Amino acid sequence: MTINIPYDEAIRRYRPLAERALPCTADPGEDLLQRYHPDYIADRCIQLTVGANAGDPCHRQLADVLQSDSRIDEADLAASPEVETDVLVIGGGGAGCSAALEAARAGARVILATKLRLGDSNTVMAEGGIQASIEKDDTPQMHYDDTVKGASGQIDRTLAAQMVTDGPDVIRWLIQQGMQFDLDQYGDLLTRRAGGTSAPRVLYFRDYTGLEMMRVLREAVFNSDVEVWDYCPAVELLSDQSGHCAGAVLSSLKDYTYSLVKAKSVIVATGGIGRLHLNGFPTSNHFGAVGDGLVLAYRLGAKLRDLDTFQYHPTGLAHPHHLGGTLITEGVRSAGAYLLNAASERFIDELRPRDHVAAAIIRECAEGRGVDAGHGQSGVWLDTPSIELRSPGIMEQRFPKLLHLGIKSGIDPRQQPMLIYPTLHYQNGGVIINRQGASTVPGLYCVGEVCGGVHGRNRLMGNSLLEIISFGRRAGTTAAKRVHGAGMRQKKVSLEHLRAFRRELMLAKMPLTQQSPLLFPEYAKFEKDSDYDGLRRNTRVADDG
Amino acid sequence: MTEAAKKLINLRINGKDISAPESLSVIQALWYAGYPRVKGVGCLQGVCGSCRVFVRRADSNEVSTELGCELLIEEGMDVSFLIYPIPPYQTYSLEEIPNSWEVQAKFHEIFPEAAQCRHCGGCTTTCPKDIDVEKGVELAVKGRFQEAGELFVQCVMCNLCQTACPELITPNHVALFSRRVTAYFHTRPSNLIHRLEKMRKGQLQVIE
Repeated sequence: MTINIPYDEAIRRYRPLAERALPCTADPGEDLLQRYHPDYIADRCIQLTVGANAGDPCHRQLADVLQSDSRIDEADLAASPEVETDVLVIGGGGAGCSAALEAARAGARVILATKLRLGDSNTVMAEGGIQASIEKDDTPQMHYDDTVKGASGQIDRTLAAQMVTDGPDVIRWLIQQGMQFDLDQYGDLLTRRAGGTSAPRVLYFRDYTGLEMMRVLREAVFNSDVEVWDYCPAVELLSDQSGHCAGAVLSSLKDYTYSLVKAKSVIVATGGIGRLHLNGFPTSNHFGAVGDGLVLAYRLGAKLRDLDTFQYHPTGLAHPHHLGGTLITEGVRSAGAYLLNAASERFIDELRPRDHVAAAIIRECAEGRGVDAGHGQSGVWLDTPSIELRSPGIMEQRFPKLLHLGIKSGIDPRQQPMLIYPTLHYQNGGVIINRQGASTVPGLYCVGEVCGGVHGRNRLMGNSLLEIISFGRRAGTTAAKRVHGAGMRQKKVSLEHLRAFRRELMLAKMPLTQQSPLLFPEYAKFEKDSDYDGLRRNTRVADDG
Repeated sequence: MTEAAKKLINLRINGKDISAPESLSVIQALWYAGYPRVKGVGCLQGVCGSCRVFVRRADSNEVSTELGCELLIEEGMDVSFLIYPIPPYQTYSLEEIPNSWEVQAKFHEIFPEAAQCRHCGGCTTTCPKDIDVEKGVELAVKGRFQEAGELFVQCVMCNLCQTACPELITPNHVALFSRRVTAYFHTRPSNLIHRLEKMRKGQLQVIE
């Protein structure tokens, strides 16, 4: 096993310096990704055997939840109340909120169901910003070219073109909801570069861009006609006689009951899967990010893509342990912070695309040039004092969240570097959609991180906040229009599609012991009959707990 | 390193006596001990304001409010999770405010209780992000919305200030209103508007 330098020794060796040259030996080489990026770990993928993507490669841990049995069957729904609506939105992050707001504005009756509270999502944690080409030396075409280039192939070009074209109007829409951005002295939007961008294009609000966006969108939803159901995760979608999506089964965590919500359109905006901790990595994701939407859509027959590629954000906190995985924005590197190994040497151009930078950090630690944090976790330094030396006061002004994180960690990032290691950040693949957010199953729309194609195999900073609003608005408007389409009289709904899926599982000799969606990560030990405020101990936990 | 090799900390959470390894947060310790709490758990990174707790440390009479995800456990600590209050009871829509001259009048219609502030300071004391909450309310009442909003950059909408207010003011929503009207009426970036105009005229098409 590789031995890295102990934390205390490495921090003693560190000296703050404003400038450090990138050694010419730091060339990453051709095979950096193949050798060190977790997407290339041997045996991490298997072939799916069941469902619309049978035969496609998929990460083992994701395949486990996709090829699981349902949590419910028809008998569970015997006395469940039925509710009808026009549009049902599942998920309360930025994508779900913008879809719900636009659907309601188009005149539809909207229910928004969320597993936890409204706004509990990855959106609220996004820090760095949102991309939109607005500067005079930038164009949507350049934004598109950067997005395609950063994607490492396999991008859905139509979706990428739509997203970059929507960019400036998305910013206008957000300002109209009451969202603030950082402005210069004349009131123009400030922009900064991100890894893989050819012009300054990231708009931001401090390092709280997602928080600012989410608190504004949440307030807008609470002040609209959208009916919000909190603590109500969806456990299955409903189908009609033609196999189209016709609503969902929601499970109330408050009183252990199921409700059938019949809807003319369903918009799934459940986010990603960081809390599955793929390959044992820490994550920057929200507590509820365990891939519920992928499971629900897949069982109903929706086609997915790129299930073998995930983004590991280069700078997740590696010390202290209880805050492990917490995100530090790429904005800090945009502002010029270096990455240093235990010998205080730079080892990669810090603004290369995220997959390259993450792989280089993993390489340093794998080859003994990392810092050992002492709890089974290694990392390298994010040299925050260097930017403070060059521009005194920048930390307080631009990165208040990082300063707050420093206080909670007992480290002042203006004086001392933060120890970081890549953290599982984003699901690149997901449900296949068109420009309106429609999946391959009629009546089912998907928006946000649950979708694939927009970013190919690697996403640029700031493109996810753009994606959720761009496609969230589109899906909301389209789903609301569909309500008035021909043949939209309410049909009989059922779980008929489950029967077919179960038959496939049995024919493929898959064990029917595991159930999904998981709803929560395994370590929360939440079970069907668990008390949601955790005042009662789980019966299956041994007494020595 | 195995978990058993770590030092165990004894503390009380929600009235239950718990032992957990020293490097855990309050929420992690609760899970470790077999209490499957999911209510009030959110981002786990201190930005969603969901996991509000009361804390009393050993040998101290002082009770403080913190976020359970950021709080490292300590020997003899006593922690209680707080109930998350109901959503705000005001309703307003920015579109209802005809122009920026009317914002002050509308504010007092929407938040009539804000002007009743007794300056007890409860809201400021309770804020886990050390925001000068009371000052923000005072500024908003005077119509200085931009300044009021500026104080609340770090607000995670945990609603603790609302819980603390004897006049039932909702300071965080007062602040969010202040921030929203500032953007809605005053953010007019020329670089963005210029770009939107060009695009409206059909220039700058993207070729796939």
